[in-house]
Amino acid sequence: MAEASVLHRLVQQVTREVRLRRAEFWALRGLFGGALAAAVPLVARERFGMAALVAAGALLVAGGLIGALVGYFRRVPPGEAARLADRGFGLQDRVATALEWADHPERSPLVDGLVADAVARVTQRTQRRIVPRLLPREAKFIPVPLALGLVLALAPPIPFPKGALPNFQASTGDDEEQPKERAGKLESSDRPQAAKRDQVQRAEMKDRTLAPRAGGGGPTQAGDLAAVFKDTSLGSRSPDFNSFLKKGDERIRMLEQVDKMPDLQRDFTQSQYKMVFQKSKELRGGLRPDQVSPQKLRELLNEMERLGRKGSQGSPWAGDIAEGMEALEGGQNERAMDAMERALSKMRNMEEKGREGKGLRGGRESERRGGQRGPRGPGQSGGPGDEGDFPEGEGMFPGRGKSPTPKGDPSQRLRGNPFDVGVEGESRSGRKEGFDTNLLGRGQNVPSRLQYLGVVGQYRKMMEEAIAREQVPRDSQAHIKQYFQALDER
Amino acid sequence: MTQSIQPAESQERRVQEFVTAFQTLRTEVQKVIVGHDDVINHVLISLFAGGHVLLEGVPGLGKTLLIRTLAESLDLTFSRIQFTPDLMPGDIIGTNIIVEDADGRKHFQFQRGPIFGHILLADEVNRATPKTQSALLEGMQEHSVTVSGTSHPLAPPFFVLATQNPIEMEGTYPLPEAQLDRFLFKLRVRYPALEELTEIINRTTRPREVHVQRVMNGEAVLRFRELVREVPIAAHVGDLASLMILASHPQWERAPEVTRRFIRYGASPRGAQALVLGAKVRALADGRYNVSIDDLRAIALPALRHRIILNFEGEAEGIDADRLIEQLIEAAENLSATGKDAFLR
Repeated sequence: MAEASVLHRLVQQVTREVRLRRAEFWALRGLFGGALAAAVPLVARERFGMAALVAAGALLVAGGLIGALVGYFRRVPPGEAARLADRGFGLQDRVATALEWADHPERSPLVDGLVADAVARVTQRTQRRIVPRLLPREAKFIPVPLALGLVLALAPPIPFPKGALPNFQASTGDDEEQPKERAGKLESSDRPQAAKRDQVQRAEMKDRTLAPRAGGGGPTQAGDLAAVFKDTSLGSRSPDFNSFLKKGDERIRMLEQVDKMPDLQRDFTQSQYKMVFQKSKELRGGLRPDQVSPQKLRELLNEMERLGRKGSQGSPWAGDIAEGMEALEGGQNERAMDAMERALSKMRNMEEKGREGKGLRGGRESERRGGQRGPRGPGQSGGPGDEGDFPEGEGMFPGRGKSPTPKGDPSQRLRGNPFDVGVEGESRSGRKEGFDTNLLGRGQNVPSRLQYLGVVGQYRKMMEEAIAREQVPRDSQAHIKQYFQALDER
Repeated sequence: MTQSIQPAESQERRVQEFVTAFQTLRTEVQKVIVGHDDVINHVLISLFAGGHVLLEGVPGLGKTLLIRTLAESLDLTFSRIQFTPDLMPGDIIGTNIIVEDADGRKHFQFQRGPIFGHILLADEVNRATPKTQSALLEGMQEHSVTVSGTSHPLAPPFFVLATQNPIEMEGTYPLPEAQLDRFLFKLRVRYPALEELTEIINRTTRPREVHVQRVMNGEAVLRFRELVREVPIAAHVGDLASLMILASHPQWERAPEVTRRFIRYGASPRGAQALVLGAKVRALADGRYNVSIDDLRAIALPALRHRIILNFEGEAEGIDADRLIEQLIEAAENLSATGKDAFLR
């Protein structure tokens, strides 16, 4: 099409502009390379004299020229140039589309209109450069090699080191006779010599008696596991393999007494108190008692009551909780908060009390407390965590108890139920048939249980937020809440 | 292509005719509807592209009024179906009833439902059961309905405009992906601005009634639809449309990170068709003979927002489909050669 020639001319013009910009871009790159290369003959100026300066200048110019030529003669796709023209002149892809469709075999009738429209707009455009100038990364570093070259050109020539390398060939008799003379050519003759040292008087080796250290290596007390592991007496003794084996046996025996091992698995970071304390902190959040939501306060009190109820012993904060609930019913938020604080304080005290001496020390609680609890009667059952059902060394392993049966007699704390195989549970009201195997007994304080409570709490919170955000139908909301309630009751 | 090559003046006249018709129709609708210029434009684009529109917005924003006004501006038959949970497919398509002829013999006769109209307003489409919603499927895609083994064609132009409310989700049945995909555009109707609200009050609380004139007939709509398909699109623009679609697929090896992270299923090829057809109408309405990259950018949101299905992470983080699509457009442009100065180096 004849009209399309206007568009082709535009594309050629843009192509030329692109070539010039590319030539600039590549010339700068070449200049950088040439400047680096020019430094080499300048370094060797002492040897080459004026020729080095000429060579440096030639390399610099050649680098720039070669770069410019490479940039100018790189291929410019016509489609790219047309797109650039569209962008540069705001032609909304008219030129690229028109050129593409002008000779298209399946051209639609609208293409004629498109070409005419594109030509009209191209002829109306104002002449200006549309190709932006791009600088290579090397451009900002060009002054460095140029300055270096200038310094090298103006400064006196760098002297080359003189002298020959030593002759490594087989030496003749003369060489051996005059070693100092030959070395004198390469090295300065007045080189400082290292000062002579006085001969050190060394002590003679004597036999040492490897006596044990005072206080170390004594017999360890039973149950003092830490002391056994801290025993360093072996290190100070003279090598005695039998003694080493003996000590090793003793340690292995101590390891077998699992009931005396320190409780390393207990997770003290997630305790009842801590969870409730976190909740109470979230609840208050710097608010005055009258600003606290009664609903949330009730939830927290319920939670504290539930935690207290789960323990086999009556919780000391039950009275405070009841008082708080009563105050809440009467609309006395402040009083309810006070009661909650008291309950929290009791919970904290109990927590701290429970943590006393339950560090990494081995041995039984009763032993560490110096027998404060006193002997128990045969009918008294221990609470959770109490492991004093059997005398020392008995009943912990099959066949070691007093009972002729391998597993020993059922413990008193298991309520004499022959079907209860060690899981301590609580019977629920209304479920008389079957045996309750829930883990509400000892299991309530184990780390996994506490983590479970924590996770369920987090999920409950996320669920409430999601329900508020996602517009869940009310029927479904009820189902979801029932589901979480069921999870909570487990 | 078998079409004869016509002089440029003739093409220019055709395009000008379209531009005038488009603007006239928009002006008629704007006599009643205040603001929502984008929504009106996209509804008209959809009409001339031959697609259907889903309008989403809270009650009282004028969705139904907009559609009714459009129907009044066009010389076409208009049906309205209020979707309710007890609506049955037969209530939409029609049913066979027993009729008695002059000889006293009884036979079945097909009683046409409201789908047999040119413009169908499916109000609160998500309130009907999926079974009833699916009654629209065949009509929307095939432009025909089949009852008792007999296919009944729908008279062209057939244009479905459905509305749904995003807030009252209780007792609703969200449209399945298959049906959503059949809508060319999903448009979000937003709250009016202060000036617009004042103008709404002025227009609607005075005794003066606004009369809308019929400015276009069905034949013109069909003619313009033909014209739209003739609009040429450059290869690099078409490639960009394809890249936009592919960039929404997490399985694609060059998919951007945001896609892999938040999208479960990307847009279908129907999405690409919607993108290009919508861009063609937009270009023509702007008086241009070709599709530009700007057209694609403008059409991408309504054409793709209902075709991208977020994964769990995307939904949990409350990712907005519109923002995601904007990122996809950017990623697609980076992937394509357009907008890059790389070749200058």
